[in-house]
Amino acid sequence: METDWTTLITQLIWIIFFIMIFTGANQKIQMKLWGIDIRNKLSLINKYLLEDRNKIENILRNLGVETPSVLIRRATNFFTIDPVSIEPTDIIKRMDHLIRISDKSFRNLVSLYVKNIDKYEKSLVETSLSIYAAINQVYKIIRHYLLLAEKENNWILLMQLELQMPQILKIVETYHEALDPFTKGKPIGDSAGPLVAYRLIENGKIVSKTVVEETSITELWMDNRRIYVIKAEGPGSNVGRPGHVLADLVEKLNGNVDLIITIDAALKLEGEELGEIAEGVGAAIGDPGPEKIAIERAATKYNIPLRALIIKMDFKDAIYTMKKEIFEACERAYDYTRRLIRELTPPNSTIIVAGIGNTIGVPG
Amino acid sequence: MSFNIDTIIYTLIITTIVMVIYLYMELRKKLQKPEYDTKTLLKCPKCGYQIEKNYELGEFIGMVKGKCPKCNTPMKIIAIYVVEKTLKPRKT
Repeated sequence: METDWTTLITQLIWIIFFIMIFTGANQKIQMKLWGIDIRNKLSLINKYLLEDRNKIENILRNLGVETPSVLIRRATNFFTIDPVSIEPTDIIKRMDHLIRISDKSFRNLVSLYVKNIDKYEKSLVETSLSIYAAINQVYKIIRHYLLLAEKENNWILLMQLELQMPQILKIVETYHEALDPFTKGKPIGDSAGPLVAYRLIENGKIVSKTVVEETSITELWMDNRRIYVIKAEGPGSNVGRPGHVLADLVEKLNGNVDLIITIDAALKLEGEELGEIAEGVGAAIGDPGPEKIAIERAATKYNIPLRALIIKMDFKDAIYTMKKEIFEACERAYDYTRRLIRELTPPNSTIIVAGIGNTIGVPG
Repeated sequence: MSFNIDTIIYTLIITTIVMVIYLYMELRKKLQKPEYDTKTLLKCPKCGYQIEKNYELGEFIGMVKGKCPKCNTPMKIIAIYVVEKTLKPRKT
């Protein structure tokens, strides 16, 4: 009797197995499981969104905004359309124009609701809203693909989404955590370039200082050389327009520049050490194109050596509060920059050093 | 090939235990997220004395804050950074 039961169970398992294989029921079960998992992760993203929304609403209320939800809705749905890329003629010019208009329009939109606050606080609000908008966009895209895959029974789409979810969730968590430094004005990993530039300003003999397009140009003397330090104007959340300002400065100096050094935070490869410094050639700047090309064109026009110094970190470190390892790397990068200047140029040379990145928490 | 009913039950029990342990370990792995403390590093421009303290809202790099305990010169914030919280030692 005992043997009969065993045989029956074994036979039943085989029959179920074959039915599932031939009818595709196993895939349907798998799809359901994937769908549940994606929904769970989506609800986690929604939880982050609600937390961030409440945080931003509180900040806006404290700043005297009566209807923060209206501003949040308008800022969240704000978009910029990419320029046409199948006709590449003057694409940089068009892209630059769109980026400028986009930045200006977004700032004007925030100004409509947040009045009577200084530039510093306004920049923090703008960046916080941008972070919220980024998380919201990810949420909407995932929800779109999940519903589309379920509606059209597209298991390949659902599988792709399921496999990419851990990575997407990591990015969302990074943005969610990045809201803290941006609401409090703490320096982030990406502030490494501006911090090195600030160290030069702090330790040099300042001759003059001007601010153009939210980018500061400080002329100073150091190691018997004339150095122009370019960085976004701080300590607000601002990246400035270092490329254009640098190009204009080179023109103003009639190309009489002996060396250009750009310092920026760069994404490290897995396995590389956080805060590792590397030097190279080219423009170290991670913009969509217009700023980088402006530096390259200015350097090429007057045959100026273009050197780059990068401080390595991962994406999370770049937009979260600066880690101690990155600060220590900035100190090393400052010494490295001075050494490069002494090695590559004779005394009385003119050098431009650009500290690239968001200058949040870093003045100058 | 014949199976004993006891063998099937034992196999199912062992499989369930292994799966529960695996799920528990996965859950523990996800919960172990590093926590950070924000610190402010102050430096005396005169004697170079440095002091690390907890970050306070409104502080920024370059801000003059407090006085040097050694030479009484106003100190300057030279860095704001996060450090990973050290795990508290277990009480035995």
